[in-house]
Amino acid sequence: MKAVLAALLVLFAAEGGAQLDDPKQEARAQDLMREIRCVACENEPISNSGSDIAADMRDRVRAMVADGMSDEEIRDWFSERYGEFVLFRPSSEGPGGWLLWGAPFVLLIAGGALIFALRRGGSNASGAVEPVDPEEAGSP
Amino acid sequence: MIEAGHFAAFLALVFCGLQAGFGLRGDRDQSGLFAGLGFAAMGFAFFTLVYAFARSDFSVELVAAHSHTLKPFGYKIAGTWGNHEGSMALWCLVGLGFGAAGGWLMKSDRPKFESRALGVQGLLNLASLAYLLFASSPFTRLDPAPLQGQGLNPLLQDPALAIHPPMLYLGYVGYSFVFALAAAGLIEGRIDRQWAKQARGWALAAFVPLTLGIALGSYWAYYELGWGGWWFWDPVENASLMPWLIGAALMHSIIVTEKRGSFSAWTALLAVLAFCFSLLGAFLVRSGVLTSVHSFAVDPLRGSVLLAGLLILGGAALVLFALRAPKLSGGPEWLATSREGALMGNNLILTVATFTVLLGTLFPLIAEAVGQTISVGEPYFNLTFTPIMALALVALPVVQAWAWGKADLSSLWKWALGFAGIVAAFWLAGIGPLNIPLLAGVGLALGVWLIFGAGQEIWRRAKTFARLPKMPLRVWGMTLAHAGLGIFVIGAVLQSSGRTQTTLALQEGETQTVAGWDVRLDDVSSVEGPNWYAERATLTAVRGGTAAQMQPQKRYYPAARMPTTETAIHKTGTSDLYIALGDGRRNRAGETRWTFEVFLNPLIDFVYLGVVLIALGAGLSMAGKRTRTRKDAEEETA
Repeated sequence: MKAVLAALLVLFAAEGGAQLDDPKQEARAQDLMREIRCVACENEPISNSGSDIAADMRDRVRAMVADGMSDEEIRDWFSERYGEFVLFRPSSEGPGGWLLWGAPFVLLIAGGALIFALRRGGSNASGAVEPVDPEEAGSP
Repeated sequence: MIEAGHFAAFLALVFCGLQAGFGLRGDRDQSGLFAGLGFAAMGFAFFTLVYAFARSDFSVELVAAHSHTLKPFGYKIAGTWGNHEGSMALWCLVGLGFGAAGGWLMKSDRPKFESRALGVQGLLNLASLAYLLFASSPFTRLDPAPLQGQGLNPLLQDPALAIHPPMLYLGYVGYSFVFALAAAGLIEGRIDRQWAKQARGWALAAFVPLTLGIALGSYWAYYELGWGGWWFWDPVENASLMPWLIGAALMHSIIVTEKRGSFSAWTALLAVLAFCFSLLGAFLVRSGVLTSVHSFAVDPLRGSVLLAGLLILGGAALVLFALRAPKLSGGPEWLATSREGALMGNNLILTVATFTVLLGTLFPLIAEAVGQTISVGEPYFNLTFTPIMALALVALPVVQAWAWGKADLSSLWKWALGFAGIVAAFWLAGIGPLNIPLLAGVGLALGVWLIFGAGQEIWRRAKTFARLPKMPLRVWGMTLAHAGLGIFVIGAVLQSSGRTQTTLALQEGETQTVAGWDVRLDDVSSVEGPNWYAERATLTAVRGGTAAQMQPQKRYYPAARMPTTETAIHKTGTSDLYIALGDGRRNRAGETRWTFEVFLNPLIDFVYLGVVLIALGAGLSMAGKRTRTRKDAEEETA
């Protein structure tokens, strides 16, 4: 049993996973790996996945970083090849992108404005704003 | 035996019906009695399940599907709730437990209100019991009984994950009682100071275990998945974060209702939403609509029943809310720059943060409906959730000193100066000796700022050292929780900016250097556990004068046909050296190299220490019923 297991775990494969020599480039590559989704796993970035395809994708990221490609170019390359699904940072373009990226901030600003507008949580049934007393009216 | 349990669960269903009936009719004592009887019946039913798991009684279908004779005894027991049916049984048990506790502990001069709350809680329990018995019964027999079970998902064979579901459910289901209190209050059109005083304890009773449950899940993910991180913005994690955020908002808003009688409608809405988000969380996990690394029970049909229940419940609650909210009156006037305004700001940020998590979690589903497949992950939440929450953290120390009604803003410049000073100090230290990026410097400054703010606030109230120990437990609880938040922020910032990850490929006997550590692979051997086999690497890590032996494993569970990672973690006091074993790869020359993911995680314990302090603080402020002197009372409102 153990022998079978050992055979299972020891894969015959070319050596890969060598890190880049330049620590800055390696750090950039690792940041990118955390943003790119493994296409064979459930909800894992390639930085975490133990699958072979993720290892290949990691090598590809490192190679492209070493070639001097920008983050944007590398993301685009993966997105073109595997679809936008592969990026954990979804695009901010189009109506969907606007909704996804904009809605939280719009809501925050609108809510903040509402607090300033309401000032007092209504003792008035209708929810309409009653005139505040002169002292309060003076401050923001 | 299991048939007796099945019968007892039906009995519990009947008792819940009676609890609901008597409760809604206004018979407080009868309703409380049946709540207690229901809990007793369900307790027995649950016990028969645990007993079947403990004895590995494979004539019970659930045991055969999820247990194994070779499993360690503790995990046989924990296996009871390590599956869909069993965890739903636990859900019911906790729900009935809260009903019984409510019947036992609620003692106010409003029996009619308490009776209605028990009635609503009875209805909720009735629904979950019906779901258990008719849509996911754990009491089914299997004939003929197999000789061996199919084993538990090995990821769940872990101490943290064994107690993670009970903690989480105490939180989720605890909010069902808060929901019931809110519904009863809304029916009467009375969400007032006395209501808030009563409901606050129950909201905290749900918040504390929910906090600890999430922390346990996160700690499990940290050491078990072998990914080096502690939070992955995974849909299942997000599902538990949403009710927590709403719960945190509720905890703050309910204070305003209790002390001032304001925010009644808003507090009621949050009380309702906390349970709705708990149900949503259960739905997201159970239905499998979102793929995830954590979810272990996936069934679309059960999911749709849960979704229907959620929609009916949420809809009914919102209709009730819409009918009654305009009648809720309350509170003296307040300006935006007042304690009320500050707490409203806290609530705004927490609800927007919840909405952001919801949007990010559901957006891939929405996009799929219109024919796009996209992913939303960590980068999205880092750029939306994090800055929004940071706003609250920057403001907290300043605004918590604000008075009710109208704040004195004359010392605002001192606060601005203090904040700028802390940020500048960290920024300069960041450029110089610490060598950290600007954003991380600001993040660390924020953590220190929060701890300073927590200390400053209790000092402002106590004024002298002699009076510090005499401060009410509520104030101590708040201080601890806010300081814990600061400690958490420091840990989280260091994790996201200071963590290093290196992949090593080592032959036996080879040494490589990672982040100051000389890591040598001594050997890789096969080891055996009760129900698993493993490859175990033995490494020696040396830095300076200290050496640590580390033994990461790659386990294989034959019964479940599944591999898992067992990481090795060496704690140095200031950081974790964290090693996960990868594959062995043989090259053409016939040499075998083992890959290791090596992480250096600075101050990861701060993340968990912070969260535990938050839970502890919330617990303290719940326990704080010390009779307050008039002076204390004056101070609290000052």
